[in-house]
Amino acid sequence: MRVLSLRAYVFSLVSFVSFVMIQTSNRLDAARNGVIRGRVEVRRVMPQIERRPGVADLGAPAARDLDDRMRSVVYLESAPRRAFEVDEGGRAVMDQRNETFVPHLLAIMTGTTVDFPNSDKFYHNVFSLSKPARFDLGRYSAGHSRSIRFDRPGIVRVFCDIHSHMSAFILVFSHPYFAVTDSQGRYHIENVPPGNYGVFAWNEGNASEPKAVVVPDGGAAELDFALR
Amino acid sequence: MRVRVVTLRLASMLVVIANAGAVRAQGLPSEPIALADGRVTVSGDVSATYGSPDPGFFNYTDYEHSALRLIRVDVSAAAKAGPHFSLLGEVRSENIDTLKAYALYARIRPWTGRDFDIQVGRIPPTFGAFGRRAYANDNPLIGYPLAYQYLTSLRPDALPASADELLQKRSLGWLVRYSVGAPGLDRGVALVSAFRWDTGVQVHAGAGIFSAAAAVTAGTVSNPLFSDDNGGRQFAGRLEVRPVPGLIAGASFARGPFVSDAAVRSALGDAAPDENFTQTAWGADAEYSHGYYLVRFETIVSAWRVPTIRTPAIDEPLRALSTSVEGRYKIVPGLYAAARVEHLGFSDLVGSTSTLPWDAPVTRAEVGAGYSIQRNLLLKISYQHNTRDGGVLRRVENLGAGQLVFWF
Repeated sequence: MRVLSLRAYVFSLVSFVSFVMIQTSNRLDAARNGVIRGRVEVRRVMPQIERRPGVADLGAPAARDLDDRMRSVVYLESAPRRAFEVDEGGRAVMDQRNETFVPHLLAIMTGTTVDFPNSDKFYHNVFSLSKPARFDLGRYSAGHSRSIRFDRPGIVRVFCDIHSHMSAFILVFSHPYFAVTDSQGRYHIENVPPGNYGVFAWNEGNASEPKAVVVPDGGAAELDFALR
Repeated sequence: MRVRVVTLRLASMLVVIANAGAVRAQGLPSEPIALADGRVTVSGDVSATYGSPDPGFFNYTDYEHSALRLIRVDVSAAAKAGPHFSLLGEVRSENIDTLKAYALYARIRPWTGRDFDIQVGRIPPTFGAFGRRAYANDNPLIGYPLAYQYLTSLRPDALPASADELLQKRSLGWLVRYSVGAPGLDRGVALVSAFRWDTGVQVHAGAGIFSAAAAVTAGTVSNPLFSDDNGGRQFAGRLEVRPVPGLIAGASFARGPFVSDAAVRSALGDAAPDENFTQTAWGADAEYSHGYYLVRFETIVSAWRVPTIRTPAIDEPLRALSTSVEGRYKIVPGLYAAARVEHLGFSDLVGSTSTLPWDAPVTRAEVGAGYSIQRNLLLKISYQHNTRDGGVLRRVENLGAGQLVFWF
């Protein structure tokens, strides 16, 4: 009888602890993710990379498109541990069109494969000597595409070996809490777990000081930046 | 002593370049400087080369300058004044010497919607392919192609009195003296000069896969001039076709009076027409690239007519034929290997006692590699094997060289 009572006591205790843990876990899971949104004002737009003067050319070069240098990236300084458990392996595209990389700025997660199609009638040669991804895709013509997978976080500068005025940025993050601004400078980082964070804005190599933000349970935090 | 000074300048320049590169690497990579809202752009090319001594003068571009021991600084600029007019120029310094205007011309585009340009002034070369990409950044190796660099024994301002005198000067193009015309020692000419541009008017047009250029200039391809020395004009033309991506094929022609008025008068008197003593050049070139390969081929035939005053005379044109094949392969990102094989041969000339090529034929094989320290900072090394069939100088030379190239 005493043995039975002891077993019943232990079972009750284990059940109680399990109940408390499950309740706690449910409460944690029940915390609803929030949003960080706002606007990035780029006060000094970085100038376009001009063509080299081409003094040795027999004629003037054809017109080309210009890079969209107003876009910025906003990202969390650090992320909740669960952020790093997100499945990797998406795909993104950076086109080469009229001697311009489109988009000029791409933000991706580690594990993403980026396709580089050539939409011009002539050769391009995409390459990067950046530490996070050192690659050279060689020369290929219109209608062809080559790709590269980005496995290390960091800033990757992309160039064309044939057209020195072509350049682009790929920002590779190890968490999903980042966003590229739209044409009005607005951004929207979704699905951020409630908590305190430091947030950066980045444009053409210029990063802001980190700004503190509190993401409420299921709510939105507003945060604007001005980049000089 | 001069070599030591140049070496010290080279060392200090490398430090400056390396520091500049490091600073730029922290922000945006180097790029042309844009002024006046992009209407004015300025770019630069700096190369510092140091190589083996070259007592056979295989790589000399004149008596003082070897292409293997050279610090070259190019600064180019373009100023746009609307959609129809640009002014372009380039100044160059070799071994931190005085700056020289290498190019200065106006580019006029009468119709913005058409690929048609008129260029007036000290203009880029119409003839051949290498002349327009003779920058260290565009040359996968360190040496220049023989046709554009190797100095033959011919001079526009001084002439051999006979075939025998010319045959005595075989291999001495780096510093040669003749008995007719200018009396001093000076360099001979390459088939096509990569170190000076000519002065005149150039027209360029493109349509579909074709593009063509024609020019009237003061000098000739081997002796470009700022002001004419013989009252004649050179006519040059080039046709280029790009049938598929990666393939460029071109053909070039140039003809103009080569020998200066003064030299002709010294040889034949005041009444002699100098238009007869011409340089005529034909060229064919092709480039194909795909993936990590780039292959180039260029051949040039040049014929000079020169007067002589004694027998044995030089009755036939003095011909030279150069053929060059080069290739580049990217091994890994930022690292490539390259090679060039070429030959420069000369037509036979009948002298009093022998018949020989009028200059000593030269063959060169060069292999090398390039490593990009950063996007606009390139380190190259190369090794050359040179042979010369005849002449009084050393006939075989193996030369090594290193080159640091910085551009923005």
